[in-house]
Amino acid sequence: MRRGTISICLLLATLLAACGAPSPTDSAAGGSEEATSEEATSEEASSPSEDGSPAEESESAAELSGEPIPLGVAVAQTGNVALLGQEQVIGAEIAEAFFNERGGVNGRPIDVLLQDTAGDEAGASNAFNTLINQNEVVGIVGPTLSQQAFAASPIADRAGVPVLGPSNTAAGIPEIGDYVARVSAPVSVVAPNAVEVALEQDPDIQSVSVAYAQNDAFSTSETGTFQATVTELGLTLNPVQTFQTTDTDFTSQASTIIGQNPQLVIVSGLAADGGNLVRQLRELGYAGLIIGGNGLNTANVFTVCGLLCDGVIIAQAYSPELDSDINAEFVEAYTAGQDRNPPQFSAQAFTGVQVFVEALIAVDDDQGLDSLELPELRTALNEAILAGEYDTPLGPISFTEEGEVNQEQFYVAQIEMEDEQTGSFTFVR
Amino acid sequence: MVQNLLNGLAIGSVYAIFALGYTLVFSILRVINFAHGAVFTVGAYLSYVLTGSSFGFNGLLRGQSLPFGLPFPLALLFGAVLAGLVGVVIERLAFAPLRRRGADPLLSLVSSLGVAVALVNILQYLVGAEPYRYPSTALGALPTAVNFGSAAAPVPIRTVQIVIFAVSMVIVVLLTYLIRGTRTGKALRAVSEDATTAQLLGIDTDRLILFSFFLSGFLGAVAGSLVGLSVSIAGPYFGLAFGLKGLAVIVLGGLGDIPGAVVAGLLIGLAEAFVPGQYVAYRDAVAFVVLFAVLLIRPQGLLGRAQVQKV
Repeated sequence: MRRGTISICLLLATLLAACGAPSPTDSAAGGSEEATSEEATSEEASSPSEDGSPAEESESAAELSGEPIPLGVAVAQTGNVALLGQEQVIGAEIAEAFFNERGGVNGRPIDVLLQDTAGDEAGASNAFNTLINQNEVVGIVGPTLSQQAFAASPIADRAGVPVLGPSNTAAGIPEIGDYVARVSAPVSVVAPNAVEVALEQDPDIQSVSVAYAQNDAFSTSETGTFQATVTELGLTLNPVQTFQTTDTDFTSQASTIIGQNPQLVIVSGLAADGGNLVRQLRELGYAGLIIGGNGLNTANVFTVCGLLCDGVIIAQAYSPELDSDINAEFVEAYTAGQDRNPPQFSAQAFTGVQVFVEALIAVDDDQGLDSLELPELRTALNEAILAGEYDTPLGPISFTEEGEVNQEQFYVAQIEMEDEQTGSFTFVR
Repeated sequence: MVQNLLNGLAIGSVYAIFALGYTLVFSILRVINFAHGAVFTVGAYLSYVLTGSSFGFNGLLRGQSLPFGLPFPLALLFGAVLAGLVGVVIERLAFAPLRRRGADPLLSLVSSLGVAVALVNILQYLVGAEPYRYPSTALGALPTAVNFGSAAAPVPIRTVQIVIFAVSMVIVVLLTYLIRGTRTGKALRAVSEDATTAQLLGIDTDRLILFSFFLSGFLGAVAGSLVGLSVSIAGPYFGLAFGLKGLAVIVLGGLGDIPGAVVAGLLIGLAEAFVPGQYVAYRDAVAFVVLFAVLLIRPQGLLGRAQVQKV
């Protein structure tokens, strides 16, 4: 018996160690969650994502001439992250059809080449390598996750291929290299807007409780921003509560938070855990405002906290209600294929392709695309991307020298539940 | 204090019934059934679908639901019965062929691990990885929380936790009666004591092994459904953490010891509940620290008997 016990203990230790390492399943599950943490803003929980490219490329490209310009889009089309990657595919395909219809790059069509990254780093690296070496793309929009970007974007940087992150919001993405930029505003810029809206809704907020998933790099970075914002606003920050993204039982944290008697609770976690914490807080009687981090910025959270999700405030980088021509056209193209408004990550993927197209036009005007060899073209394109200003569905954007996006306008939405499973993000700012 | 105590008892009671599933199989076959964590998950999904709820949009069964919906208690019961049958199938597929060939028990352990991985992947293929939540009507008209304190100093406890504790305790009592007070229980104990002698005495060990797998699956599914009811089904992998915790419980309680599993389950639940707020994220480590500490003093577990080596 003693030998049996010892061998089981050893086995347990091995399994625990294995659980600590990111197994493929972990990365699939965690991946989806981080994806949601970074970009998701589905409008309807129950609406399946379907391919909604509004027009076949061949129809519109017929008027164009010349060799199509290959542009890579490397996002998660399979795996758990596919829920979100598919929205990015829709955004990119809409952009391809949209810009080809409007003459492409001075008459030459662009050819969006999709490569599936799945939800992990290896998949992203493979996709990037294929696009760079086999498809010989001029640039890449992707990948879906920050954690994938840290693995794959250096490959593109070393090869001198410009990359635009469509949904990577963690700190340090533009710093990966000269050829890496992003259209997704970092969390440090987006998140504080939610706190401002909470203060507008309840000016009496004094005491704020914060909980975050300490095993998730994104949530940890996000909570830092939230805590700094709370302190800067002169509010009282209660002792911070932590949890793990794999946790399910939050009664301890919820009880402690209620004991702190806050008027505002800020949760930085992912969909399942963050949603559960919201649910258990509400069930235990917490009635004040709740801000969710980007991890809760997904329709997946609706099924976790159901009607108790109602009222959760979440900052957004995109609003379908933005009043601009390009956004109106984008929303029209999107809603032609989908029965809902476009979510943030479709808009960001569209924007990624748009920036490439407009920068290509700039390079063509300046030097002529045909006069450049591929490596020179990629370098010139990278310079043009960083130098340009773009009127996109996200609003006017430009880039810093490092490749960080300058976005002028941000939004805040509040969850509004219709029933147990279905809800929507209502824009309050 | 009261809050932590009640929180700990609620989660600990689920650990207990989950670990009893491991214990039953171990006491008969002296093997750990690693697929138990997967059965926990399967059971949760089965009772979810039996409530008439539909699947999401990320698997083969997207948008599908049964044409009828059972009230949660019935869905829990039938889901557990179906999961018990899954347990029986696991026995036939992963354990019986190896047992007949007289293979090393370690091989059964590995084959059950294989079944666990397969089950989880099949689940993900069928229903996707998104979280699922039981209908909020599952507990009928019960309030979402009950105040165990006063109006001035409230100690709110979620009703679902009280339900979990109550159901788990009822199951422990029923199982104890089954083992201690019935002929089947007596036979189970006899097989557990010495399978060969029991067989010589005319006990159908094969049938009892199947029965223990059924019961084990049943218990795993009840635990899975109750946890799912409390915190929603987080995805096909959500049984994994419970699988490990369950192992800690049975080792702590004494391998194959039923009262030991119950005591250890409650103990680990309480130990986790009393981890201070700012360190709660580390509470999983607590279970294993408790386990390690106890094993240093009592290698046979809390209530396990030290085995005498017969020469």
